[in-house]
Amino acid sequence: MNHNVTRRSFLSFAAAGAAVVSLAACGGNSAAGGSAAKAAYAAPAKDLSAELSYAIWDAAQKPAMQKIVAEFNKQYPNIKVTIDVTPSKGSAYWTKIQTQASSNTLPDVFWMNGPHIKLYAQNNQLMPLDGLVSGKAVDTANYPKALVDLYTVNGAFYGVPKDFDTSALFYNKALFKEAGVSEPTSNWTWDDVKSAGAKLSKFYQGKGVYGYAGDLTGGQTSYYNTMIEAGGTVISTDGKKSGYDSAGSIAGLQFWRDLIASGVSPSMQQLTDTASSDMFTSRKLAMTMDGSWTVGPAQKALGDDLGIVSLPKGPKSNQSVIHGLANVIPANAKNPAAAQAFVAFLGTQDAAKIQAETGTVIPAFNGTQYAWVKSVPSVELSVFLELAKDASPYPASVNTAAWNELENTLLPQAFAGTKPVADVAKDLASQMNAALAKES
Amino acid sequence: MKAQTLTPASKSGRAAQAAGDRRRGKSKSDGWWPWLFVVPTVAGIGVFYLWPIVQTFYYSFTKWGVFGGTKFIGLDNYVRMFADSTIPQSIVNTLIYTVVVLLGIPIAVILASLIERPGLRFATLYRTLYFIPYITMPAAVGIVWRLIYNGDFGPINWFLGLFRIQGPYWTSTPGFALLAVATVGLWMSLGFNLIIISAGLREIPRELFEAAEMDGASRVRQFFSITVPLLTPSIFFVTIVTVISGFQLFDLLYVMMGKANLAMPQTQSLVYIFYNQAFLQNDKGYAAAIGILILVIIALLTAFQFRVQKRWVNYV
Amino acid sequence: MSESLLSTKSGVESRQIASARPSHAGGKPSEPAGRDGKNRGTKSHSAKGGKQGSNVLAHCVLGIGGLAMISPLLYQIVMSLSTNAEVQSTPPTLWPGVVQWHNFADVFTSMNFGSQLWVTVAITVIRVIGQVLLCSMAGYAFARMHFRFKGLILAIVLSIIMVPSQLFLIPQYQIIQNLGWLNSIAGIVAPGIFSAFGLFLMRQFFMGLPDELEDAARLDGANPFQIFFRVMLPLAANGLWALVIITVLWSWNDLLWPLVVTSTANAAPLSVGLSNLQGEHANNYPILMAASLMAMAPILIMFLLMQKRVMAGIGRSGLK
Repeated sequence: MNHNVTRRSFLSFAAAGAAVVSLAACGGNSAAGGSAAKAAYAAPAKDLSAELSYAIWDAAQKPAMQKIVAEFNKQYPNIKVTIDVTPSKGSAYWTKIQTQASSNTLPDVFWMNGPHIKLYAQNNQLMPLDGLVSGKAVDTANYPKALVDLYTVNGAFYGVPKDFDTSALFYNKALFKEAGVSEPTSNWTWDDVKSAGAKLSKFYQGKGVYGYAGDLTGGQTSYYNTMIEAGGTVISTDGKKSGYDSAGSIAGLQFWRDLIASGVSPSMQQLTDTASSDMFTSRKLAMTMDGSWTVGPAQKALGDDLGIVSLPKGPKSNQSVIHGLANVIPANAKNPAAAQAFVAFLGTQDAAKIQAETGTVIPAFNGTQYAWVKSVPSVELSVFLELAKDASPYPASVNTAAWNELENTLLPQAFAGTKPVADVAKDLASQMNAALAKES
Repeated sequence: MKAQTLTPASKSGRAAQAAGDRRRGKSKSDGWWPWLFVVPTVAGIGVFYLWPIVQTFYYSFTKWGVFGGTKFIGLDNYVRMFADSTIPQSIVNTLIYTVVVLLGIPIAVILASLIERPGLRFATLYRTLYFIPYITMPAAVGIVWRLIYNGDFGPINWFLGLFRIQGPYWTSTPGFALLAVATVGLWMSLGFNLIIISAGLREIPRELFEAAEMDGASRVRQFFSITVPLLTPSIFFVTIVTVISGFQLFDLLYVMMGKANLAMPQTQSLVYIFYNQAFLQNDKGYAAAIGILILVIIALLTAFQFRVQKRWVNYV
Repeated sequence: MSESLLSTKSGVESRQIASARPSHAGGKPSEPAGRDGKNRGTKSHSAKGGKQGSNVLAHCVLGIGGLAMISPLLYQIVMSLSTNAEVQSTPPTLWPGVVQWHNFADVFTSMNFGSQLWVTVAITVIRVIGQVLLCSMAGYAFARMHFRFKGLILAIVLSIIMVPSQLFLIPQYQIIQNLGWLNSIAGIVAPGIFSAFGLFLMRQFFMGLPDELEDAARLDGANPFQIFFRVMLPLAANGLWALVIITVLWSWNDLLWPLVVTSTANAAPLSVGLSNLQGEHANNYPILMAASLMAMAPILIMFLLMQKRVMAGIGRSGLK
């Protein structure tokens, strides 16, 4: 759930806060906290005495974080860690972090997400953590590659992955059974979804129940995935060029337009009025593409009627976008040794296991996700882990918000059919490229 | 006056004289006393309101870096603004919104003349009912209206369904969304208009109506030839208020529309575009140029209204 | 969904403007109050002529219209007592199957209602006191004293009333940040203590007051401060009431500014807490409805208790 909020809030308030604060940061600290961090990290003496502040945004995860701190204190009894939860999720959190960044008072360790990492890393707000890797305190092979890539900016490693989320196909077993349509499997293709969706929508016609939908008011759990599955990209790997005008991307967008046009999916207007996840939990939707953070609420609403399988395979793949948080250290850390020791510990298997017990997030450390998978026995949650293996990194650039806003403005016209998908995609690509050009 | 001057020893005489002195003094200055009274407020307004406008003007000629730092780019933001097709569209949107909300004024005049009727019972209750929307919290009421307008389970479409009419998705269909938002604007402002116009109505001397009645004028006739003309100052006041707040339209859009809304281009206001550029797209230089455009439009509109008011506003 | 929570000062600003009658609109703002008094003394046309008996029609129109006006709030009350499924059912629920009182209790566990109510009350009280004091002083000087650049300063101050509040946001934020007042009541309150609108409103009231008492006090050797506080301010009670009412309404509902300057739930007012709640429980309509009713309740109750004064205050603010 936290990821969902992170993503959404980034698109709205957080950006506002960021914007406000950035004004005040005249130049900031231009010298990266570099040279020291590049040298291999050596664990500080066990009696190192320090006080660290640790900023997080999810109150539900605070107990797990406190447990981790307690474990950490068994190794470093004299490092006192204070956890500062800034609630109301991302919005207030990023406002605060940006404020602190502009006045050089960032917390000693804090949570970072995909849309913000480049903004902070490229503006020299973060300490590169390559020293932790070369010092063998952190092994990047322990985490999904896409996450490591997400937090690697210009060749430097800035954030130790904490958790992750991917998207899968959620379905309502009862609605399938009543309509006499056979349930989805992890081997389904786009065509299977389309034909089953059509049968379902037809069966439930007039009852306000639809076959399939995704959240088209944002890309992570809908069109980002299908664009990649069709061989397209959202943004080039160097983050400099839009991928919206590629044939694959257009096909990935067309997929959703076709579903709406054929009546399998509710209309764009309908999805703006009532979110697809709401329709799914109120049993108005037989299938939906949604993120791993919604397993909890969906299971609560549907109980044993909830089924989850892998994403249906598109022309090229059934890849999902992967997103996840990381722990980062500010460039001008007051106590770099203690902060690095703590971040290194947060990246360990022990810390990941403690997180898995909370059941709300998938820990990033490979192999520890099993506990999370067990948290809802009635559903095969391992599909999210399978999807993570070859997942595509969350698309982001330096000023991600600028072109996220373009997506929100232009794409609804394509999905609603007021303009041809290809035209909108090309228009979006050129406007996005203009926005990206302004970043440098 | 005359009597007073004839009794020089009286207190009132002295008072009158002192008043005369003061008035003469007034034409010059009250020394430094006034500054004690105005400096705290004027300084505060200068710092928190005037200075921001000056800054906005300066920012409109600059480009912002991601983490701050400005670069002077001359008129580039303005050049871009004049080429931006969403700007004229948003001005049209604002005009449509304002026209719809202005419909609340004739409604308020009719309601006020009904409420202010001789000896009408429950008049206070009626005033209360109409006024309550004005004091509600926009952030709270916005969600309620979103539900009311919901295309699938909202009461409006249910009601239309009783007559076999398939209602649209009000807040996400181009055309309807602006109407839906403007209706809420009208709903929120009606109580205010009503109170102002009622107050204006009570100022009209009853003799005028009595005379008209003796001349045999019907109530409808009285309404159009006495009530409406004599209410023009109040009507003018609520008109200018409606137009200015129409151009400040923002919060209703924000609360009711949601992101990735198909209807947004046909609904958004200039202020919304300003906010979007400044806070969502991190383009504060361009936003500042739009802010200056907003200032110019509001100033022109107000000047225009004061110019034309002489033709239709009657002051008693 | 979160963006939908963000409302702003702009509505509030427009309410403020709404109550400020531009000076020309009033016709002759400087006209002495005697005339006002005369008009008030005159019986309005409504006081007479109960003879026309067509009030039935009036009751029909006013009754149906009035019901329509408050129907969104009635709907809100019903929703706050329903289950989420009932809110999203078709046809709409007119009354919940089982009244869900616990929705109101749930609000307390979902947001820091207590501390946010306290912040809201605190910022409202401080703003009201600040505006009453500062605006009445400045309004008095602009109405009844003479000093250099008076006309120019007044014109500049008045022009600010028309500017959308969003335009002030960034520079105001920078000032508060430089003062180190982020996340504090001082930071939330600071810009709103100063009000161009309040100054204008009070100026209009002071212009309508008679000269005699002021002159008498002057003769008794009172200095301008004493004259203002002992003689003139009490006379402006009606104007102050209008200012208090409008400031309370604006401060209570103000959202965008406190949202930007506060970042911890305990430092935020109810409006911000409500919008954050919408961000976290976007799909849980009953709890959102219950929370927004609770946030509006103090203002609604206050209005119902003092409605004559409120409506008279607002009505007067538009008259002169």
